[in-house]
Amino acid sequence: MSNEVQTALHHGVENIDAPALRSNESAAAGVAPQRRVPVSEDSRLATEVRGLVERGALDDARDRFAALVAAHQRRASRIAYQYLRDAAEADEAVQDAFVKVFAHIGSYREAWPFEVWFTRILINGCLDRRKARARRDRWFVSGETTPGDELRAANASPPDTNPEARLLARERRARLAAAIDRLDGRQRTVFMLCHYGDCTPREVSAMTGLKESTVRVHLFRAARKLRGFLGGKS
Amino acid sequence: MIVRAPHVDDDGLLDVYYTARTGEVPNPRTAEHLADCHDCQARYADCARLLDVARAEGDAEADEIFNADRLRAQQLAIARRLEHVGRAARVIRFPAQFVARRMNVTGRTGLTRWVYGAAAAGLVIGVGLTALYDSEFHRLQRNRQLAATARPTTTAPAAAVATAGTGATMEAADEAFLSDLEVALERPQTPELRELDALTPHVREGLATNR
Repeated sequence: MSNEVQTALHHGVENIDAPALRSNESAAAGVAPQRRVPVSEDSRLATEVRGLVERGALDDARDRFAALVAAHQRRASRIAYQYLRDAAEADEAVQDAFVKVFAHIGSYREAWPFEVWFTRILINGCLDRRKARARRDRWFVSGETTPGDELRAANASPPDTNPEARLLARERRARLAAAIDRLDGRQRTVFMLCHYGDCTPREVSAMTGLKESTVRVHLFRAARKLRGFLGGKS
Repeated sequence: MIVRAPHVDDDGLLDVYYTARTGEVPNPRTAEHLADCHDCQARYADCARLLDVARAEGDAEADEIFNADRLRAQQLAIARRLEHVGRAARVIRFPAQFVARRMNVTGRTGLTRWVYGAAAAGLVIGVGLTALYDSEFHRLQRNRQLAATARPTTTAPAAAVATAGTGATMEAADEAFLSDLEVALERPQTPELRELDALTPHVREGLATNR
């Protein structure tokens, strides 16, 4: 992971509301904000949870927050798994992200979608884990996939597919994972968020602090490289 | 003359692909060209197929691992962890059972201390008694020796005369025995080495020759 993206992504939870503050500042200065994001259902829910937490109704806040978890956990698990390639670690990263979001819900500003805020926290957690893993691998024998994961992946395949199809699917996925892993850190982050996280370049720009045009450049480069690695035209 | 727009490059195709996926409007010129140009349509289809497959494979793999059961377990785990958010740290009471056991252990330590104390006292008493007994024994022995020297010496010359003849004989016999012993010890015990020893000059013989 390049330093620029690391620092951009590691602004942390405290600075996550920076775009919203800028938007409020421009409104206060009498300048209309360039983009008004319509408040989505999950953003409205997050605002409600924030209000409950501020009033001290933690039990109610937890109940409302459960709906946010249910709405975002599948997408979050996909992103975390593609990033970490380890089911247990991805599971922990998703849990940590939700807990962190709840603990810092007071700093959420509805000017930006909840999804953007949450994904940024999730990606920060995943990056930290990747860094920790790289540090571990320097000292210990590295293992890309744990035997438990392989077993789980093998068992997770639909039982109606024949063994040959399952084997081919595993090979395709391994090739894809290896190709994504060969992308450089910034390109991988942008590609993950756009391709698996369904984020627009504008949203990725808000998450990473990179310019939207830079995000597009990284996305296209990553896609071209991936095509090359996977046997298509680069 | 109508000049045909140049073909869409790879970045243009990727831009169309991602804008279409996120529901944004693609560049109108690119979209127009793509609608007319079969070559670009074929390239776009090729590019989109590869990226669609990559996405489908990635999502399928993640969804197989994070199935409904796992997601439910994840929800429960998050709910459990959220229970502790916003609550002050709980002070865990020291388990009463452990306290009782520790107290027993403390009692046992007190007993051990008594045992150690008694052993040390026994040792001191033993040493003291031994020293006392020793000094008493020596005192008695000294008294006995003094008593013996204080007895009448009339029998002593007779005894000395009676043993005078045998004393010299005994001394000579002792001398001979010790000499034999000395010679035997000087010689090697191993039979094989005796002949070699006989050929070797001894220091004692050398000294005798010099004298």
